[in-house]
Amino acid sequence: MASGPHADYGRQIEMGAQLAIEEINAAGGILGCRLEMRFMDDENRPAVGVRNARFLVTEWGAHFLYGTDSSGVAMALGPVLRELDRIQFFTHAATHRLTEELVAQQKIKQIVRVSAPVYQDAVAAWLFRDRRDVRRWATIGADYEYGYATWAIFREQMRRLRPDVEFVGAAWAPFLTTDFSPHIAAVMATNPDGIIATPWAGEAVTLLRQALLQGVFDRIKVWFQAMGGSVDVLEGISPEVKEGRFQGKLYATARYLHNWPNTETNRSFVSRFAKRWNRMPNYSAETTYSAVYITKAAVEKARSLQTDRVIAALQGMRIETPAGLRVFRSEDHQFVYAVPAGKVVWDPRYPIAVLGELKVFDPKDYWRWPPFRPLELSK
Amino acid sequence: MEVLAYQGLIGLSSAMYLWLISAGLTIIFGVLGVLNFAHGSLFMLGAYLGYTLYGLAGFPFGLAVAASVGAVALLGAAVERGLLRPLYGLDPSYQLLLTFGLVLFLDDLAKLVWGGVFRIPPIPGWLQGAVVAFGRPFPHYNLFLMGVGLLVALGLWLAFDRTWWGRAVRATASDREMASALGIRTPAVFSSVFFLGSGLAALGGALSIPVRPVSPGVGAAMIVQAFIITVIGGLGNLRGAFVGSLLVGVLSSYGTLWFPEFELFFIFAIMAGVLLVRPQGLFGP
Repeated sequence: MASGPHADYGRQIEMGAQLAIEEINAAGGILGCRLEMRFMDDENRPAVGVRNARFLVTEWGAHFLYGTDSSGVAMALGPVLRELDRIQFFTHAATHRLTEELVAQQKIKQIVRVSAPVYQDAVAAWLFRDRRDVRRWATIGADYEYGYATWAIFREQMRRLRPDVEFVGAAWAPFLTTDFSPHIAAVMATNPDGIIATPWAGEAVTLLRQALLQGVFDRIKVWFQAMGGSVDVLEGISPEVKEGRFQGKLYATARYLHNWPNTETNRSFVSRFAKRWNRMPNYSAETTYSAVYITKAAVEKARSLQTDRVIAALQGMRIETPAGLRVFRSEDHQFVYAVPAGKVVWDPRYPIAVLGELKVFDPKDYWRWPPFRPLELSK
Repeated sequence: MEVLAYQGLIGLSSAMYLWLISAGLTIIFGVLGVLNFAHGSLFMLGAYLGYTLYGLAGFPFGLAVAASVGAVALLGAAVERGLLRPLYGLDPSYQLLLTFGLVLFLDDLAKLVWGGVFRIPPIPGWLQGAVVAFGRPFPHYNLFLMGVGLLVALGLWLAFDRTWWGRAVRATASDREMASALGIRTPAVFSSVFFLGSGLAALGGALSIPVRPVSPGVGAAMIVQAFIITVIGGLGNLRGAFVGSLLVGVLSSYGTLWFPEFELFFIFAIMAGVLLVRPQGLFGP
């Protein structure tokens, strides 16, 4: 997606891919072949995404596809990938159904996901497990599948860890909401201790700004902004974080954090990325960067571009990436890796706000694992 | 009871904001008969200019808003004069094509100038904070928006009802040829109306920047709501736009409280309800 208010995710995908391609080409390519990329905007519309995929494969001659931000576009692409018999590495779209339904159930083997799916948001339950003072939870949710799935898996995990909590309120904000004040007012009327919020990108910044104005942070104990660890969100709320306006009550996670893990692989990736693009890498940049390197590893092992051979080469893959160790899960073609959650803090070593007091949990604990029971989505 | 009152108050402030945006749209349609798709882009431009002047150049917020409104209003008048005027004699679909083309052009222009990332400046100090209403903090910013919305309503009413210019505009709107036969310079009236309508779009945009990030395409989300409100109120009717904004703002706010499951559906339900009873809109002819 490279247009509209969420365009930065597409831009970050492009920057991540570009960096990986430049590095790989400078080091001699894959099996001696140079990589080329063609970047297209799906405009957040399934029909455009499908048209682009067909064009890229049949006209332009793409061997692999990457990216896709929206779950709606991703779900539409699934069957088309099978028909085109090309692998797409999904690097942002988060719906559990992409891998659980299309891969594990319907066996569309051409789908591989490198980014952490919606499961990641369940980390909130673990993060606040020991906060006995936070009993009443409410959500200000994205009014589409992502928001419902987060609320469902969060409640499922929380009920297991803390039978004493109550889920007291929910307000749902459609895509492209710009005025969250009715949602904030409605949820605050239920006197929650904690709020879990799923609007993302610019909408997350809008929501947090408006929540500050309504004095929400004087009345609640914790606020979990699910994808608040995204670079664009942290850039947007930096002034308020610096001034301490969130009173240390704002927590978040993401699908990758540039300040974790503290490994040479990650530090070097971040500094190369920052030097090349003059921005901090967001998660969609890291996931796409890693997806290109995963392709390299798989193709070098398979010594072939054939889907079956490449998929076979992915089996059992454990690969060190900037986000840490990624392990291929064969049942649903999902790469498993841990992303911490933490408090949004100001750290003078960084140009923007970051997540601090990071806590890492084992995906074994909070991700969904096969065999998958259907997730009951309800508002 | 306090919960209801507070939710209503929040709804009123949303309504005043919607009013600012739909007023300009409906005025331009009412007088010129032009359905201005680019209204949302003018809103976006107002927001970007406001952001640049206030957030980057450091001008006071009020001054930045005024300057953005002035600049976008002038741009609107120039667009009317240079691009729309040659199309008045042709099929109305040309106007739609032109204003839609402007949307694409202005969105891409914004991307070139300000980049694809959304921008949000800090909240001006005097808009931070809140008053206590029904036991809960009600933001100064929302109060301020309500004030501006009412002032604009009053100003527009005075301008259309009590000035010579207003009479000229109304005369032109009801019969273009007769008005010009009476010596009204209708082309100048058209330009002034576009000036006013574009300025209102920019006012909504520039006032929104402390709480709503601006990004390319941000106008698209606003324009849909504004269109629905003008349809509810009766296309081209200013009072209708005001009442329509109140209906949508307040009812949506209660909807969020009472029926959170049907959020997506509210605004369309309100529109459908109104159109079933009055197909021409609340104040339509």
